[in-house]
Amino acid sequence: MLVVGTVPIRDMPLTIGKVTADGECLVISDRRIPCTQGTGAMISAALATTSYLGLDPPYALLVGDIGEGKGSRQLYQYLIDHIVELSPAVLTLHYWLPDMAQTRQLCAVIEKCKKRPVMIADAASMYSAKAAGLAEAFDIFTPDATEIAFLADPEATHPAYIAKHLFDTDISRAPELARLAYKNHGAAKLLLVKGATDYIIRKGEVLATVTEPDVPALEPIGGTGDTITGLVSAFTYAGLELYEAAIIAARANRMAGKYTRVTPATRVRQIIAQFPSVFKDYLCQWSNVCHGKGGN
Amino acid sequence: MRKQQQKAKFEGGGLILFQEVPHAMAAEKVLKSLGYTVKLVAPPPQLRKGCDLAVEINLVEQPGIERVLRENDLAYVGIDPIRVKTAPLLDIVKVTDFGDWIMVKAGNMKITYEKASGVIVNVSGGGCPDIPYLHAELIDKRLDEAPRPKDLGFTLCALNLDRAFDECLTLYLKGNKK
Repeated sequence: MLVVGTVPIRDMPLTIGKVTADGECLVISDRRIPCTQGTGAMISAALATTSYLGLDPPYALLVGDIGEGKGSRQLYQYLIDHIVELSPAVLTLHYWLPDMAQTRQLCAVIEKCKKRPVMIADAASMYSAKAAGLAEAFDIFTPDATEIAFLADPEATHPAYIAKHLFDTDISRAPELARLAYKNHGAAKLLLVKGATDYIIRKGEVLATVTEPDVPALEPIGGTGDTITGLVSAFTYAGLELYEAAIIAARANRMAGKYTRVTPATRVRQIIAQFPSVFKDYLCQWSNVCHGKGGN
Repeated sequence: MRKQQQKAKFEGGGLILFQEVPHAMAAEKVLKSLGYTVKLVAPPPQLRKGCDLAVEINLVEQPGIERVLRENDLAYVGIDPIRVKTAPLLDIVKVTDFGDWIMVKAGNMKITYEKASGVIVNVSGGGCPDIPYLHAELIDKRLDEAPRPKDLGFTLCALNLDRAFDECLTLYLKGNKK
């Protein structure tokens, strides 16, 4: 599994390697990455899952970028040059400065991989895939209530420019907006729409919803959407069907929020720390995966 | 020998419009010198507001580019999405009361602060690379002492975050006067 994204460390060079955890940080090629909102939270959730299941840790490709775009362009170019030789089973694209042309080039190169990776996109990687008209090349997107409106708007290239009649913070419109997104070729093969109700949707059809446990205070906590993407990636890497991985990710994220007794001031690393306990208590029941290392 | 990769053709999605051709050329030069990927283009007739030369930019970088233009006294008419049917920038703000905390959502961005102290406790949403950076810069700071996202950020996500910040600050200051 290859996870790709920017981290908020100015001038951190392009770095690739296996991820390990050290206290509240991730370590990759001797560089310490904070487990905070964004790519750090996504990778931490994926690592918590692979560690529990006794799988290889995620391989991460990271670069420092605080929004200026230079690091993001290096990420795209590295992937374009090396993705065929890397050929990961699962490729998760996350934070970066969206660039339609480079996304187009990357997707063209990925078709040359011997076995096409399961392609997962969230955050601005999802924005660039949709804006470039390549959403359907991806296996799953994990948008929130605003982002599903963005995917439904055929003209929008960023969620700041969504038509007002589509924009709604009410998650109950997700199925309608997802149907529109599929009609306008703005959706991946599967969608996990994150909100008060989590919707798992394929080709406009709602396959499942997740509403329990109800933990409203998860919404303000930065990184709680990123953790879902990390969980989906790791469970897919573990061999679960993508829709199963999505359902379990949504459940596990909520349950970890409940275990943490979150308030709007909770930090995402506190929630991630609860994943092993959640897996131990529920993973077997939810998925028939009953052999986790952390479960013994 | 590895085959040379073909260079991707730039697709920016946004146009800076100018009154005068030399303004467009000066802006292109400054932006390129700062590492932005930009291109001089002719604006489509339906977007033309001044001269017949525009600078194509990556629309997501609009806030950072506007800051560069201001700091360098480069006059411009406006920045528009190239796709003419694109909606105007969203200005919808939603406030959620969590008891001791208030969450303000503007577009895809959310800020949550503690009512009593005005301290920012969380920033969530978005997907551009300046958001984790702004998260780190804003957390644990009081709203009336924290830096503005629009002054530190570079992208449209940062612009939305600044709208949420502005509403948080208004609410907090109003609450303190009661």
